[in-house]
Amino acid sequence: MSNEDELLRIEGIRKSFPGVVALDGVDFDLRRGEVHVLLGENGAGKSTLIKMLSGSYHPDEGRVLVDGEEVRIRGAQDAERLGIATIYQEFNLVPDLTVAENIFLGRQPRRLGMIDRKRMEADAEVLLKRVGVNVSPRARVRELGIARLQMVEIAKALSLNARVLIMDEPTAVLTSGEVDKLFAIVRTLREDGVGIVFITHHLEEIAALGDRVTVIRDGKSVGQVPATTPEDELVRLMVGRSIEQQYPRERGDTGAALLKVEGLTRDGVFHDIGFEVHAGEVVGIAGLVGAGRTEVVRAVFGADPYDKGSVKVAGTALRGHDVGAAMSAGIGLIPEDRKGQGLVLDQTVEENLGLVTMRARARAGLVDLKGQREAAARIAEQLGVRMAGLHQHVRTLSGGNQQKVVIGKWLLADTKVLILDEPTRGIDVGAKVEIYQLINELTAAGAAVLMISSDLPEVLGMSDRVLVMAQGRIAGELDADEATQDSVMALAVSTNTVKTEKEARGGH
Amino acid sequence: MATDTLRSGASAGGLRRLLLDNGALTALIVLVIAMSALSGDFLTTDNLLNVGVQAAVTAILAFGVTFVIVSAGIDLSVGSVAALSATVLAWSATQHGVPVFIAVVLAVVTGIAAGLVNGFLIAYGKLPPFIATLAMLSVARGLSLVISEGSPIAFPDSVSHLGDTLGGWLPVPVLVMVVMGLLAAFVLGRTYIGRSMYAIGGNEEAARLSGLRVKKQKLAIYAFSGVFAAVAGVVLAARLSSAQPQAADGYELDAIAAVVIGGASLAGGTGKASGTLIGALILAVLRNGLNLLNVSAFWQQVVIGVVIALAVLLDTLRRKAGATPVAGAPQGGKGRQATTYGLAAVVTVAIVGATSFLHNDSSSTANPKVGLSLSTLNNPFFVQIRAGAQAEAKKLGVDLTVTDAQNDASQQANQLQNFTSSSLGAIIVNPVDSDAASNSVKAADTAKIPVIAVDRGVNKASVDALVASDNVAGGELAAKTIGERLGGKGKIVILQGQAGTSAARERAEGFANGLKAYPGIQVVAQQPADFDRTKGLDVMSNLLQAHPDVQGVIAANDEMALGAIKALGSKAGASVSVVGFDGTPDGLNAVKNGTLFASVAQQPSQLGKIAVDNALKALQGKKVEETIKVPVKVVTKENVAGFTG
Repeated sequence: MSNEDELLRIEGIRKSFPGVVALDGVDFDLRRGEVHVLLGENGAGKSTLIKMLSGSYHPDEGRVLVDGEEVRIRGAQDAERLGIATIYQEFNLVPDLTVAENIFLGRQPRRLGMIDRKRMEADAEVLLKRVGVNVSPRARVRELGIARLQMVEIAKALSLNARVLIMDEPTAVLTSGEVDKLFAIVRTLREDGVGIVFITHHLEEIAALGDRVTVIRDGKSVGQVPATTPEDELVRLMVGRSIEQQYPRERGDTGAALLKVEGLTRDGVFHDIGFEVHAGEVVGIAGLVGAGRTEVVRAVFGADPYDKGSVKVAGTALRGHDVGAAMSAGIGLIPEDRKGQGLVLDQTVEENLGLVTMRARARAGLVDLKGQREAAARIAEQLGVRMAGLHQHVRTLSGGNQQKVVIGKWLLADTKVLILDEPTRGIDVGAKVEIYQLINELTAAGAAVLMISSDLPEVLGMSDRVLVMAQGRIAGELDADEATQDSVMALAVSTNTVKTEKEARGGH
Repeated sequence: MATDTLRSGASAGGLRRLLLDNGALTALIVLVIAMSALSGDFLTTDNLLNVGVQAAVTAILAFGVTFVIVSAGIDLSVGSVAALSATVLAWSATQHGVPVFIAVVLAVVTGIAAGLVNGFLIAYGKLPPFIATLAMLSVARGLSLVISEGSPIAFPDSVSHLGDTLGGWLPVPVLVMVVMGLLAAFVLGRTYIGRSMYAIGGNEEAARLSGLRVKKQKLAIYAFSGVFAAVAGVVLAARLSSAQPQAADGYELDAIAAVVIGGASLAGGTGKASGTLIGALILAVLRNGLNLLNVSAFWQQVVIGVVIALAVLLDTLRRKAGATPVAGAPQGGKGRQATTYGLAAVVTVAIVGATSFLHNDSSSTANPKVGLSLSTLNNPFFVQIRAGAQAEAKKLGVDLTVTDAQNDASQQANQLQNFTSSSLGAIIVNPVDSDAASNSVKAADTAKIPVIAVDRGVNKASVDALVASDNVAGGELAAKTIGERLGGKGKIVILQGQAGTSAARERAEGFANGLKAYPGIQVVAQQPADFDRTKGLDVMSNLLQAHPDVQGVIAANDEMALGAIKALGSKAGASVSVVGFDGTPDGLNAVKNGTLFASVAQQPSQLGKIAVDNALKALQGKKVEETIKVPVKVVTKENVAGFTG
């Protein structure tokens, strides 16, 4: 009965963790030479599923078949033997080893007990060429950018003669040019007969690359559809309801300037940044990765120092590099790296929500535990954080709910100027809309919102004004009605700023 | 996110789950049950209080370290800071007439200051905590040696009461431990700084971006650790009635072990005061039980290491089993936590009660029991004492229990306490420090157990007999030997023993006395090499750089002498004469080979033999002489053949 093109089949997989059923009957199959997209909201169970295939988790029930035979994958070695390679969002590379060493880590070709460096590098070169990336096998991995790291991971997977390649949100961290390159490589691999499991949140990528789509919702596979299925239908399958409007921005009246930044400069990082954000307004900051957007908002918040310029909130200047001052003036920052900078993952929802307000609400050095709990319960309810209880550790929440917790802790502090850095990165469609609604509520209540996003439709859909940064400078400012993908991109890649910078330096 | 949750089965797997949830507690219960089953002496009120006293210092230190580890740091300096604080207290009160109250404040301020320096280096100097506190470990230890000039300082009596008992049975150290434990739990659970520790340890950057003043908090966290170290140091010194510059050496590792056994992660963010207390109790129960069971001193260390690993392994297992992580939720099910401990207590009492029946009729063997507490077994001299004692005990039909205090006065106090509470017939003690042993020996006296001191005396307490060779006389002999060898003229160096030990002091005194008769002998350098061969080699190599023309070396023991000989190379026995002390087998070999000119030989196995003889006599109620001098002999190439230790 088994199709001879079939590489992999998963039947009725169930997996529960204490307190949570992560997977509850998932079916999936993968054929030779196809890209099978795995689609689902964060927390739907995609990561759990691929961890079963890589041997990190073991299913409680159900069967995994490779080439029609039932197998048990107990660890990475088993997965390797079966030809299954996984590229995670967080790369498994050793920064201080060379590219070649990373590709052949643990399997270095040996001669007389010594590592045969020459052969290893030559082999690595061949693999890198196949992937189509121009990087020396002798380069240290630390020196490579994210896109190249990913290529090295793919080369590593190829070196294992992987027949099944699992890619977990490979495009989340790439620029559009890099995405195109990645797609080209994936297509070549597909022609070579490799079966690819592709996880993405970007619906437009499905039509561009995929063959079939399996949608997972709440730990169950809810449907398998061709990749040509319209996006609306995919969203409906994924969220379980249809989403009326992706960007529900409600523009109201704007008030006085709440945040005023003038001439902000940190040498070599950003230059002469000036802008205003008014009460009731959402200002988006667009630009390429590395344009200096995150650095600017961190400096505004006082997390990093700056050399020149001023930051004023409601007319009062703030001391630089002083998070405390920014906070008392009413600024809050939702950082770009949610897990690394926004949350204490092994603490509870309640403790994370109370982090900002703990000090202000403490009396004589004692934390007001009861007050904190009540406030946390109130805000969690208001934001609709889906959790088992206030004592659930935030590590076990889905991305969207984690982000709500980060936002919640600032809402508790009566934040007037909220800075959001990539607020919806890695968050599923349903939760995105809820966060947009929240932004609406904030601005309606008279707060000012500054939002960085690399997701152009989001910037255009949610901002009242768009600032575009390029190479550490503000390349231009667009009103909501004049901002289009093309006009923003034109500014984002504008090179005249580079020239002026060089001229400016020459003039010194 | 899949929100449907499974309720854990409450009643059926309840106990199993409870124990899995509290890995360290389970380990403690298992240990207590095992010890009760194996030794009839374990489960007495006296002995359990002993365990409490013995856990106290480690526990108090560990509470302080819990703060640091929860905030993802590490504090290696607590042992040294404890010693420094106690030294400051004793020095200011005893030697400078500072009122005791102020001296106590000074001691605490010392702890705070050391902690602040640690915190400053870490928060503002951006040193890794490991390095900053490693530096403080050395600085604080050095300062306490500088202040005390290497000798123990008597502790003011009013503070020494901290080492006594309340109402004749409740030991004050246990009380202090409980109070500090409650304080630590309060700080961790309820205060702003305590909750900040979890946030900083869990994710420092997130804490900073949430407005926590991470740098200031770190200062405070390490200062807290310093205060707890100071309190531990005062308790330790009070127990010994003396502030020892070398006290609490290596205790930082015990403290860290206690914290980790208690369920904290070195990665930060988790840990509780109750867990730390359990961790400290596990270590104390283990040491106490192994003493009572007469497990060989060497194997004790192996067992302790294995148990530490097992306890943490159990905890890892529990986490894998997916139980709710321990920390982070202070108010999380307080009732449940109480039930946990209640249930644990009931189970322990039940099983322990059952096992204690086993011992009621199994009265011990007819052989008289004697305990021997040696200062160390890391030196052939003491190993020979043990060999002599064991041979004699076998001959006389005595059950001899030997313990190794690892040169730690407080560990010796624990061992003597264990001997006393397990009602041995007699105790032989080879004190780490003559002052520090006094309290424990007094306790044995009160319990009417005869005590024989061997090699070193005990001050301020009566022993039935002292079996010793005379260190001062031996030192004089060594000086005379080198003086004659060099014809009364020449340059020599002296390698001193471990600062703060009585043997080092007395031998140094003997060297000085003896050299007075030889004004032509010039001592170009005196440096400590801690009775250690490797250090002897290093120190001698260094000294040779400064004084290449040295003609003689006096070393306060053979081990250092042998190290010096290594450094001297072919010069040894030719242009440089080395005189050692002790007459160990290695030393005597070197005398035979001519590299060691002479060794002032004690007769360690004789010391051990005579000590056991006298212990038996005292036990049988016969009269023993107050001091028994075992002769010292200068062994040179001429008489080495006939000499037996």
